[in-house]
Amino acid sequence: MLHLRGQTVGSVALFLANVIAIGSGITAPLDGPTGIVRPIVLPPFDPSAAVCKRPSGLQRVLAFAQDNQREFMQGVARGLALAAKDRGLMFEIAQADNDAAKMIEQIKGFRDAKVGAVVVSPVDTPSIARHLQELIWSGAYVGTVVPPPATSLLNAPQYLTGKVLADEAADFINTRLSGRARVVLFTHDSLQFLAPRFTAMRDVFRKMPGVVIVADISPLTVDEAGGAAMMKTVLLANPDIDVVLGADTVVLGALSALREAGKTRPDQFLGGIDGEPLAVTEIRSGGPYKASVSLASPIFSYAMGQHAADWLEGKNIPQAMDILPRALTLQNLDAYERDVADPGAVYRDPQKRNVYLRMYGNICFDTRDQYINFPWSSERK
Amino acid sequence: MPISPRFVVNFTVLLLSVGFLVLFGIIGMTVWLGERAQIYFDEASSLRDLRIAAVELRSALQSAESSERGFLIGGNEIYLAPYDSAKAHIDDSLARVQQLLAVSARDALLTRLSNIISDKITEMDRTIALRTEFKENEALTEFSSNRGKALMDEANVFLSSIVRNADERLTAGIAEQRRNALWLRLLSTLGGLVIVTVVGGVIFTLFRYTGEISRARDEVRSVNLTLEQRVNDRTTALMRARDRAEILLSEVNHRVANSLALVASLVHLQSNCLNDRAAKEVLNATEARIHAVASVHKRLYASGNTSVVDLDEYLSSLLQNMEAALRSEGHGASLRYELEPVKLKTDSSVNLGVIVTEWVTNAFKYAYPTGSGEVRVKLKRLADGQSELVVEDDGIGRTAGPAKGSGLGTRIVSAMARTIGAEIDYFSRNPGTGARLSFPSTGES
Repeated sequence: MLHLRGQTVGSVALFLANVIAIGSGITAPLDGPTGIVRPIVLPPFDPSAAVCKRPSGLQRVLAFAQDNQREFMQGVARGLALAAKDRGLMFEIAQADNDAAKMIEQIKGFRDAKVGAVVVSPVDTPSIARHLQELIWSGAYVGTVVPPPATSLLNAPQYLTGKVLADEAADFINTRLSGRARVVLFTHDSLQFLAPRFTAMRDVFRKMPGVVIVADISPLTVDEAGGAAMMKTVLLANPDIDVVLGADTVVLGALSALREAGKTRPDQFLGGIDGEPLAVTEIRSGGPYKASVSLASPIFSYAMGQHAADWLEGKNIPQAMDILPRALTLQNLDAYERDVADPGAVYRDPQKRNVYLRMYGNICFDTRDQYINFPWSSERK
Repeated sequence: MPISPRFVVNFTVLLLSVGFLVLFGIIGMTVWLGERAQIYFDEASSLRDLRIAAVELRSALQSAESSERGFLIGGNEIYLAPYDSAKAHIDDSLARVQQLLAVSARDALLTRLSNIISDKITEMDRTIALRTEFKENEALTEFSSNRGKALMDEANVFLSSIVRNADERLTAGIAEQRRNALWLRLLSTLGGLVIVTVVGGVIFTLFRYTGEISRARDEVRSVNLTLEQRVNDRTTALMRARDRAEILLSEVNHRVANSLALVASLVHLQSNCLNDRAAKEVLNATEARIHAVASVHKRLYASGNTSVVDLDEYLSSLLQNMEAALRSEGHGASLRYELEPVKLKTDSSVNLGVIVTEWVTNAFKYAYPTGSGEVRVKLKRLADGQSELVVEDDGIGRTAGPAKGSGLGTRIVSAMARTIGAEIDYFSRNPGTGARLSFPSTGES
């Protein structure tokens, strides 16, 4: 599942509880197909699959039901707008401002207006699921950023996310620290679904005999203050730290604690997840902050917009899609920002597109009863 | 290049000094490493105690947490059985950790660790109390807050750090001990090699020096042998040359003696052909003189020594011949002689023989004109290397009147005496006359 920012941790936790509830079958009575509710492993997307009928009676409109205006979701909106423009769709945005009821009303409005394609970043999944299903039953394209139900669901591989960051750190340790390092892992105990990230990090470092994980601990609060406080505690026990990994906000806090203690060095590796602007600024400065794993929201949302247009034209689209994590470093930061600035170019170039996106399963208007209705992950075995 | 004794001494002293320095270095290093090993042993002992205390503290915390979790899930108080003893163990272990870490002056760490453990125990006590009071939901809420896990994780950060730090220091200590042992082995081996090399160098130098001395001695011996051989050869050659010379000299003397004998015989033959008595006497005197000279040569080639003549033997032979010759001429005197062994140079002996011949001939001819009498010849050695020859008779003595003979004999005697550095003394006896010749002899008898 996609990692959301620190300021929405509470709502994400609530959202996950709802996802689990859906997966357990605790849902309201249905008037249409339930979709695929039992977890399955989707095959790779087949772009040459047979063409379906076009949905009838729907507007060529692409709407975005946005939970809030954080930067990540602003990127989603920008990608969707660009795709709509490129495909001749009208584009609308409905801001829910983290209000689940408001979002439900917005979804209802889209359904009533016979909007052909809706992308949702849900505020409260259980409460909105039924309304999303109704949209699906109406023949509309429904794309969700992470939770089901959706005709096309977007997720991020958490294990891979953690692995990408840990691999960057491992490369640094091998090339700059002669394979020896004291590592601090700042986990995120309050979000269970993020656990694979840290599993991946532990798996990477387990293969490095010179690496010692001196702290594998969750800050009390997953923000800069929590990261700084926990880093001070860690420094009490371990004054010399080589690597710190975690969420960007937490690692930025750890960086400030290291600076306060006079323990920063150019040959340290601090790396986070989320591509936070402050983290990017630190990377550009060439200091200890070396990498941040980012999920390119304009790129996946541009693809979702394209899929929405394809859906309305009766084409097959992927049932699910991974946005692949990219480690932003001083070396690739400019290229990454160029890609994010022009997601259409990335989508049109299959080679580049495969760097960012991986697509699974096939679905179209005729087979819309096979929509995903379980918490899908490409990492499920 | 040969090595000098000074070089041998200096080089040996230098090598032995190096050897001793290396030996002292090895001993010093061994002592130092022993000290380091003792320090490491003390530190390792302390670190081991600290590590054990930290591990036991973590184990006790985990035991207490397991007990608490078991009770929270099942509500069965049997799970709480180890809880109190685990808490007691936590207190003991924490106290030991504090005591052992106090020397490291890590107060902030100890304070933080104590607070975390205190909070953890409080959290466990609270949840157990809630569960005991059947407030399961409140206990579950407390449990779900993850506060307990966070405290445990935090405690683990510290305890792991203590254990890891102890392990790292122990590992570093072991590594140092290994390095030290390796250095000791290496330096001992190198030192041993140096000492062996030094001893080898000394032995080599001494062997070389001894060898050179031995070779020099052999060379000297060889040279000596050659020299001795050369001396022997030379001596042999000289002896041969001397023998040849002596043979030649004897031959010459023999020839001279023969020639003189031949001349004397010719003079004698000539004398026999003469009727004139005076002429005959002159020739006889000459013959006697030649005999005297020839007699010396005969002596010389008959004896082994040509440089000196045994005067007693020479005079004895000369006088016998003279007596026989004079008596054959009709002189009635007899000759008696007493000759002590005296050696005289050959040339002087010839002169002395001529003088004796003159004097004895004169005594035979003039001392006893009427008949027989005795002529005595005495040869004596005197003190101070002088010898004395005396010819005396008991005849008529030297009377006034015209001199008998030509006077040649007297001149010959005087000339001969001067030649050999002798002094002549004529003296009268009553009756008779005596003539004494004092001359330097060789002093040998």
